[in-house]
Amino acid sequence: MNRIDRTFSELREEGRAALIVFVTAGDPDLETTRELVPVLAEAGADIVELGVPHSDPIAEGPTIQAASTRALRHSTALVQILGLCQELRNETDVPIALMGYLNNLLAYGEERFVQDAASVGVDGLIVADAPYEEATVLQSACEAKGVHRILLVAPTSTPERIVAIATRSRGFVYCVSVTGVTGARDYLPSDLTALVARVRRVASAPVAVGFGISTPDQAAEIARISDGVIVGSAVVQRIGDAGSRAEALRSVRDFVSALSGAVRAARS
Amino acid sequence: MTFVKICGITSVDDARTALEAGADAIGINFVAGTPRFVQTDAARKISRTVMGRVVRVGVFRNASEDEIRRAVEEVGLDVVQLHGEEPPEFVEALPYAVLKALPGDAELLERAERYRGCDLLVDSPSGGGSGTPWPFERARALVSCGRRVWIAGGLGPENVAEAVRAARPHGVDASSSLEQEPGRKDPERVRAFVRAAHEAEGAGEQPDPRGYFGRFGGRSVPETLMPALEELTEAHRVLREDPEFARELRETLASYAGRPTPLYFAERISEDLGPRIYLKREDLAHTGAHKINNAIGQVLIARRMGKRRVIAETGAGQHGVATATACARYGLECEVYMGEEDMERQALNVFRMELLGATVIPVSSGSRTLKDAMNEALRDWATHVRTTYYVIGSTAGPHPYPMLVRDLQVVIGQEAREQILAAEGRLPDLLVACVGGGSNALGLFHPFYEDREVRMVGVEAGGEGIETGPHGASLSAGTHGVLHGSFSCILQDDAGQIFPAHSISAGLDYPGVGPEHAFYKETGRAEYVPATDDEALEAFVYLTRMEGICPAFETAHAIAELRKRSPSLGRDRIVIVSLSGRGDKDVMQARDLLGGRL
Repeated sequence: MNRIDRTFSELREEGRAALIVFVTAGDPDLETTRELVPVLAEAGADIVELGVPHSDPIAEGPTIQAASTRALRHSTALVQILGLCQELRNETDVPIALMGYLNNLLAYGEERFVQDAASVGVDGLIVADAPYEEATVLQSACEAKGVHRILLVAPTSTPERIVAIATRSRGFVYCVSVTGVTGARDYLPSDLTALVARVRRVASAPVAVGFGISTPDQAAEIARISDGVIVGSAVVQRIGDAGSRAEALRSVRDFVSALSGAVRAARS
Repeated sequence: MTFVKICGITSVDDARTALEAGADAIGINFVAGTPRFVQTDAARKISRTVMGRVVRVGVFRNASEDEIRRAVEEVGLDVVQLHGEEPPEFVEALPYAVLKALPGDAELLERAERYRGCDLLVDSPSGGGSGTPWPFERARALVSCGRRVWIAGGLGPENVAEAVRAARPHGVDASSSLEQEPGRKDPERVRAFVRAAHEAEGAGEQPDPRGYFGRFGGRSVPETLMPALEELTEAHRVLREDPEFARELRETLASYAGRPTPLYFAERISEDLGPRIYLKREDLAHTGAHKINNAIGQVLIARRMGKRRVIAETGAGQHGVATATACARYGLECEVYMGEEDMERQALNVFRMELLGATVIPVSSGSRTLKDAMNEALRDWATHVRTTYYVIGSTAGPHPYPMLVRDLQVVIGQEAREQILAAEGRLPDLLVACVGGGSNALGLFHPFYEDREVRMVGVEAGGEGIETGPHGASLSAGTHGVLHGSFSCILQDDAGQIFPAHSISAGLDYPGVGPEHAFYKETGRAEYVPATDDEALEAFVYLTRMEGICPAFETAHAIAELRKRSPSLGRDRIVIVSLSGRGDKDVMQARDLLGGRL
């Protein structure tokens, strides 16, 4: 059984939402990411998203753009990220989803990539710039290899698109909370609850919400209305701000623990 | 989409048949004494049955203005089709939308020239309504000059797809071939005809409905933008068929932007280089480049869509200036993203945009050029998509932009085609244009696409040389991948990270290219070559000295290729070069680069 499915079914038993944490692979270097992922899991992340750095990340705000730039200083490429995932599988069973941009996958070869990702224990794939009707080769490869292709739904999505996305997405549906790019926001939109409810009505998989969530309070708020809370930029910011690897690990661990506490307490 | 008209409707039943089959127009015959003539009362009933659901066309032959007016008013007609020898002055004076029928014979082009202001229905040369097929490709020359053409004569479910491919008309018309007996339509055949005609377009048209030219193009963008792209595609589809929009655009381009631009016979460089060289003078369009064609068109679309805020990206600043100009003209808020490096290179254009009331937003990420400006514009659009219209400046980006921008730029080639036919009486042998994203090149090339004997060369930024140095030659030296939402030729490393491009000209300094060019290259329809910074600079000086025309650095790349290629062409060959922009913006940079070397 795919680790993402297993995690969500366990959490359903527990009656709480998942905490999903995003970090950019190779930020600022691959060794940091290798040490960081088990720390995230221990601190309470239920699922980890590893960002594949791209030179032109059009869906990202300044924080994750900066992380991509840091990672690309060492030319962090997919082949190394897959190697990292393989190493991580010796240490942790936390579900891993890769999140990136289509061009890096095309350069690797879509089918070969899915094959290799499946063999090193990657559970899901999120392609920020591939809407459901594009990347059909990738789609069928994912189905064949049991890697979940997680699709995004946005506040701008039409009712027809919401149905199409929610019924096709595997693992979970990534519900984008704000109209815009990634990055911490002080306030989340007031109509978010309605959007999540609309997606949940048609989705065959759990619905997780991301973009903009940056505090334990916001995480708790989202945990009450959805099946998962995705936090990215606020974590990545702490890595960028840290003066050393040790400080980055400590700072991220404390923050993820706080998020996890808030998510666990949200529905009790 | 190819529109379908079912002609010779004689009863309400037949009108319903056409309506239910999905026809777009019906024709009612008012020519007394012909087999499908309909009396006023019956015609009125037919007209009421279909009102507002299909276009109602009344068919006349040598009728007086009075007779026509009576029919239009008493019956209710949307279009008047004239099937006789009505003179051009008569047609022009009629206060109705007119469809003038002409025989599809050898004199078709000449006759069409006399009927300028109306749509045309080209029918069998053996006489209107005879139902005899003819060489439908004759009508294509009119279509590619931008005329709205219907074809008729012997069309049926069996041959309509082929006729559509040959003529690429706006619409098709059939009557007798769809009957089970004279004056009575066969519902089966009507349905088959409409279906075949509507499908025929899907098979041949580029791009396909998903925005693919062959395997290039598409829409690789975040979901947030997808609904906006769907909306824009629909708006474009509708406006493309809207005569009122076409009129507004045509008149604005004429009175405000200075179209048509001249096709200038460049005598001295022709003498010097060999062939007969014509320059399509886009540098004489308002704001000094072809960019205004697209900017005005898209700003008109933005207005129709009710958007108050417009954003754009710019490299050399020409597209930014054009967009700021169109926004000033229509009173829209305008913000332009521009790489910091380009802002230094093109300080004059930055000030021009500010003077026009636009805000120029510096982009400091990545290579600080056009690519990064486009990234930032896409991020802005994703954030403000509900209120904002994004005017992309080239035939790049996600569908529908490559198609939309092309459709707004084909006016270059349509004019050039008419002008060269008038000047030389034949089509050119070679077209030359510079290619960054590729909009001026496609604007020139596309109307000649079907004319296989016309060769096309796109000239890319060779920068410091495609073997040795950084450059911007995505077609000549790139590989396939996705940049800014479409699959095309791009400059990238093995891992799929985009390389920064380099060119002396900020407008060609882009590591991607429009997907339609990738398609032209793959299918061999056009050829793409690089010209280096040095060659472009030399060509810049050459054209300025020889013809007194100072081209933009971008355009100078096309001139550089012209100089290389001309000696191998004979003196009787005809070449059209897209003189895409004027070089005033580059004069200071040229002075620095040339130093004392003049």
